[in-house]
Amino acid sequence: MGYPTTIDGILGIWTALALMLFVYSYPLYKENQLFRFAEHLFIGLSLAIAAIIAIQTTKRLAITPLMEGKVYYIVPILLGFMMYLILHRDYRWVSRYPIAILVGSSIGLGMRGTIIPNILSQIIATITPPKPGADATAWFNFVYIGIGTILAVMYFLLTFEHKGPLLYPTRLGRWVIMIGLGAYFGNTVLFRMAMLSGRAQFLLQVLGLVPF
Amino acid sequence: MSQETIWDRLQRIDRRVIYWLLFILLILPFLRPLGLPISISPQSRSLLEGLRKLKEGDVVVINISSGVSAWPECLPSLVAVSKVLIQQKAKIIYWTSFVDGHMTFEKIVEKVPGFKGLTYGVDYVHLGFYTGAEPTVAQLATNIRAIFTTDYKGTPIDQLPIMKGVNSAKDVKMVISSDTGDYGDYYIRQWRIPYGVPFAEIGIAMLFSNYQPYWPEIVFGMTGGAKGGAELEKLIGEPGDATVTMDAINTSHLLVVVAVILANLGYAATRRRR
Repeated sequence: MGYPTTIDGILGIWTALALMLFVYSYPLYKENQLFRFAEHLFIGLSLAIAAIIAIQTTKRLAITPLMEGKVYYIVPILLGFMMYLILHRDYRWVSRYPIAILVGSSIGLGMRGTIIPNILSQIIATITPPKPGADATAWFNFVYIGIGTILAVMYFLLTFEHKGPLLYPTRLGRWVIMIGLGAYFGNTVLFRMAMLSGRAQFLLQVLGLVPF
Repeated sequence: MSQETIWDRLQRIDRRVIYWLLFILLILPFLRPLGLPISISPQSRSLLEGLRKLKEGDVVVINISSGVSAWPECLPSLVAVSKVLIQQKAKIIYWTSFVDGHMTFEKIVEKVPGFKGLTYGVDYVHLGFYTGAEPTVAQLATNIRAIFTTDYKGTPIDQLPIMKGVNSAKDVKMVISSDTGDYGDYYIRQWRIPYGVPFAEIGIAMLFSNYQPYWPEIVFGMTGGAKGGAELEKLIGEPGDATVTMDAINTSHLLVVVAVILANLGYAATRRRR
């Protein structure tokens, strides 16, 4: 894709750039009218799109089949409407039924595939040593994950006071948790920078300093 | 009144100075690429190896659960994976849980030259948007037509040759999810575990640690953010957007590391004085 050549294309990228700069004016300068304009525009447009998508999806997945004679589609439609009664003080209790169905079915579905990947496979992976010929890093990871898991779990032994034989293992467990959270934070920073780099690249592309 | 030291002043730096520095450091590498080396993680390598095992005509689902805002993170991997799938002559079905997912699909088609030789509806298709989170993903595994009756252009699904005989997870050889949230977990629970469909994750960098415990038993391969995208680009020998982005990310990270060190030194110095 090259630099847009049509009027609407050029107008589109310059509008996008202007709105982007309005948004960044908050961290790079201070709160101002332009920032608030972009913020309100974004919220308004997001809400409008969400409403349209919700109506279209309800029509496609429920109303159309109902009109085609699938009478049982009335059940999810009614449950959906019951949900909105949460806004009415006197009939709020009615909304608990669809919410209960939603929560119950989601938990049931979630449970189905949870035991194997989140418990069994991870225990097996933790206690399985590296294959013969594996490098030192693999062995370090194996030992670190094995011991680290035990220490981190020990930190959550809250029914015993962390002193005596539990003092040092729980302290080490806290360090292991902190290292884990640090790695997670590092990845979060990486993600935010990548998002920002996309905007920086867009700025240069619109200004014609780097190719689109 | 005590004398103000450099550590006191460092702790009072206006946040806008840091933001401007960050912005400049992000821009410079785009104007003058540094070409910093990119190391390949075993997760990216195993993703590519898994893709290379596909045979002609195998049906692969790509779930797009990342929006336009996550393009710098997810798009390079999606593009690289699509290139490999085309080389393997696989049939690709895209669908999305994001309202702007069709824009990602169209961007992938624009960026992958291989699509020019393929026919939409025969070799690849985008079925469009779905909502409903995990229950919908579970429904897709048992009956795709219960969720999608048409593709994103409105063509009835039964008129699309690629969808002939593709009704559920049992007819799909592989599922790949591009995520900024929980959809990867949904596909693991509803596709990978009950049906054994091989699953790969293209996540934002934040998700890399989340999926690490699943690799390689549950998730056969994965990439984390732009870094993962750059790795895939290097592996397939076609440097792209992520390779360029990595320079900017590296320079910006350098600033973050320096800021963290200075902040900690300042904190330690002032605490000792108190």
